[in-house]
Amino acid sequence: MNLAATTPILIVAAAATLALGVGLVPGRAAERYGPTAVAIIGLVAAAVMSLVFWGDRIEAFEGSLHIDRFSMLLNLIFITAALAVIILSIREPGAVARRGEYASLILFSTAGMMLVGAAGDLIVLFVGIEILSVSLYVLAALEVWRERSLEAGLKYLIMGAIGSSILLYGFALLYGATGTTRLGEIADALNGSALGGEPLVLGAVVLMVAGLGFKASAAPFHMWTPDVYEGAPTPITAFMSTATKAAALAAFLRIFTAGLADIEADWDLIIGVVAAAAIIVGNVAALLQDNMKRLLAYSSVGQAGYLLIGVAAGSIQGAEATLYYLLVYLAMTLAAFAIVIIREREVIDGDTVQALAGYARRRPVHGAVLTLAMLSLAGFPPLSGFLGKFLLFGSAVEADMIWLAVIGALGSIVSLGYYLRVLGVAWLGDRRPSPAERGLESPPLAGLVTVTSGLAIVALTIAASPVLDACRSAAESLLAA
Amino acid sequence: MPMVTAIILLPLAAALALAIPGTSRPQARMTALLAAGLTLAMVISLTVRLDRDAAGLQFVDRHSWVSEAGLQWAVGVDGISIWLLLLTAGIFMLALIATAWRPPEREVGFLAAMLAGEASLLGLFAAADLVIFYVFWEAMLVPFFFLIAIWGGEGRGPATIKFIIYTMVGSVPMLVAILATAFVAQDITGQFTFDISELRGVSFSEAESTWLFAGFVLAFAIKLPIWPFHGWLPDAYRAAPLIVTAVLAAVMSKAGVYGLIRVGVPTFPDGAANFAIVLSVLALIGIVYGSLMAWRAPTMRMLVAYSSLAHLGFIVLGIMAFDIQAGQGAVLQMVNHGLVVAAAFVIVGLINRGTAGDHIDRIGGIASGAPRLAAVFLIVALAALAIPGSNSFVGEFFILTGVFRHHLWLAVLATIGILLAAVYMLRLYQTAMNGPAFGANARAIELRTLDYVVLSPLLAAMLAIALWPAGIVGSTRAPVAKAVAPAQVAAERPTDQIEAPVVPNPPPRALPLPGDEPEVAEVSP
Repeated sequence: MNLAATTPILIVAAAATLALGVGLVPGRAAERYGPTAVAIIGLVAAAVMSLVFWGDRIEAFEGSLHIDRFSMLLNLIFITAALAVIILSIREPGAVARRGEYASLILFSTAGMMLVGAAGDLIVLFVGIEILSVSLYVLAALEVWRERSLEAGLKYLIMGAIGSSILLYGFALLYGATGTTRLGEIADALNGSALGGEPLVLGAVVLMVAGLGFKASAAPFHMWTPDVYEGAPTPITAFMSTATKAAALAAFLRIFTAGLADIEADWDLIIGVVAAAAIIVGNVAALLQDNMKRLLAYSSVGQAGYLLIGVAAGSIQGAEATLYYLLVYLAMTLAAFAIVIIREREVIDGDTVQALAGYARRRPVHGAVLTLAMLSLAGFPPLSGFLGKFLLFGSAVEADMIWLAVIGALGSIVSLGYYLRVLGVAWLGDRRPSPAERGLESPPLAGLVTVTSGLAIVALTIAASPVLDACRSAAESLLAA
Repeated sequence: MPMVTAIILLPLAAALALAIPGTSRPQARMTALLAAGLTLAMVISLTVRLDRDAAGLQFVDRHSWVSEAGLQWAVGVDGISIWLLLLTAGIFMLALIATAWRPPEREVGFLAAMLAGEASLLGLFAAADLVIFYVFWEAMLVPFFFLIAIWGGEGRGPATIKFIIYTMVGSVPMLVAILATAFVAQDITGQFTFDISELRGVSFSEAESTWLFAGFVLAFAIKLPIWPFHGWLPDAYRAAPLIVTAVLAAVMSKAGVYGLIRVGVPTFPDGAANFAIVLSVLALIGIVYGSLMAWRAPTMRMLVAYSSLAHLGFIVLGIMAFDIQAGQGAVLQMVNHGLVVAAAFVIVGLINRGTAGDHIDRIGGIASGAPRLAAVFLIVALAALAIPGSNSFVGEFFILTGVFRHHLWLAVLATIGILLAAVYMLRLYQTAMNGPAFGANARAIELRTLDYVVLSPLLAAMLAIALWPAGIVGSTRAPVAKAVAPAQVAAERPTDQIEAPVVPNPPPRALPLPGDEPEVAEVSP
């Protein structure tokens, strides 16, 4: 039963290994399509298995892995992100040069994320975070002929290693305080104990918030984000900003909302402050960016802040809102990055804001998706981004953190400044001097990813009710552990 | 048939249809006029079918959207909002006709933005739920942002940014206040809802009521605008294209006062009572300040803009008096002001046809070359200064009578405003119309057949209200009485003035039944 419950993770890991092997098979067709096909099949199978386990509650390996609605919902987020990225990278130079490694690293990273989502033990959680990070260090530097890419890889490696070590130190302190690494047992040990407010526990909390803050790129631990996002191959950037953030938030929810629920008074303010800092720093810095990838990087810092509001609230409502916003954020961010990827293939300076000048008029469908994504990211009512923020602010108000809701709302006003600027350029801008056209073909299914993401934004708005039901039950399963 | 929903969605659907690239100009024009006309027809049919004696919302459409978070789609009309819907639909119809005759560049986009603006204003006035109210309040910004930013004149960039920042600064506290209202009300009644009618009568403590009212009122004060929150108004009105300025002044300026009478005063009576004098004094300052600025305004457009500031001050006075008669006057005055301002902007537009700018000092003697226009202008000017027998007279009379009943000094000081209105309106009429003719090609300005199409409905409506104000006033009695009753109780007014029952929510003696206890929020693992 233990093994059966872990099938989604095993399938992804097996597909990763297989893709690596298939990449070595000689022959043009095998080299070109083999790893991609293996990856897609593996991911779809894992998604199906995750759906099969929806509703089950299995504690595998004596509680180190929780197969519950929470982990299954996150599995779907990771798998969707990986699937979209694999499709978007079909013609990406880095992917073409090393097809096998590329696909298998993305899959390994996904498997690591799935471990994080299901983790019931600090060690498993840490191993998951390391698997996902190490794969991403390599992926960021995969375009070895580009200095920027190498720089991104190196920076990410150094900053990521620092983040991981801080996180590990926090885990060690928590172990010292409670004598166990199982999250369930930690919760039991803290229940009714006098450990709340102890320097040891406080130190553990601060270090864990900092370490996970690095992974979620929340301010003030975001310094690596713009450079790495700009330098890494764009599909990898999209993967980092969606899936990695979801994994980091999953870790936050598993550790704080579920594990440390009894000493909430010790951490809600700390996380609230980090969230507020991320919202302020991300949204203000994004105002000054001329590069789409950097702009989206800072925007993702701000969005990490919004997501953390739900953690700071420390309630089922907060976890539910965070999960819903993760889904919405996935759709919005993939839509935005898909358009950048398409544009990068068409013109040389494709990752600048200016490259989008007048683009929406020429490609109205892409323009409409971009408009949806930007307005939704800005939290414009009644789009799903607004709905998510509304729920997040609501959970903050309910937790008596009105100040956090006010900062969040102010941040979303500031964010209109740059999201609307992108739209203004895309719809009204004129492009001069004439661009250096590259005229490369976009990845064959990129249009599909773009439109699907746009439709997902709308669908999450209209059919918010059933999705929220799912998020609610996932949040409940998290706290029932 | 969900009529109110259809009224909101029709212009929106038309706007989206126009946004499809490749729409030709004639097609766009036809679509826009047809959509606006149908909307107007539907609003008229609602007006006819409305129960004029009912206090509550009628024709309510309610659909659950996200039941988990208490979000729903809820719209409806009552004796107050129906007139604002009618005003909105009518003014936009005329604005679109005017656009069709003097098409701007990128006409299709302009029409689409106008229709989107119409839809958001209609939605705002019909909202029966705080979240829907907020959604339309914000949604309104997008079309007007583009209308000013793209089609505006000199200084449109800074003007747009100022407009957006001012409005957003107001709407953030409002969003937080909406959330806080729902959560605080949940603690009191055990029910989580954003429905305006269910939040009415919730017994907030005085501190809660005051803070929540403050959260809302900033947004309303900026949108109105009330002095000293009017900083965005001169720039936006100056930079926007004339038709957009007309719509801003005639329709959008009613959003703030409407918010006061729909949400602020009925839901937070204690807070409203605490703020009543402050708001009234600010409104009074606005009346005097706006009148003086209008008197010295360099251009006709700015004169009309500043006079709006003064007229809206009267409306605020009427609402914050917590008097049924004053409240009725305020609603009537919202409609009157919309009609008069729209007519005034049509005339400014006509005068622009014969001169380079509309600088008041650089034109004169238009009456000699354009007698018909001068006659219409005189009617509008007299209506604007509320001369007895005009439509505005009835409204201002109602307001002043109501205010007089409670605050003699406020009423006395407010009459200064009426005096000043005569000063600036007559100065404008004399300089521009009388005296030796110079500076303008009066022949080009004179009314043409097509101009009557836009002007005569406005004049006819003004005349109709002047002759039969009861047509509007009669239907507002019950809803206004219901809206101000809690505030009247809070302000300890004599009981013979309070006409509507005030039902506290929850009922005072209702004990929680077994199983009714609120759920325990903490879930410990």
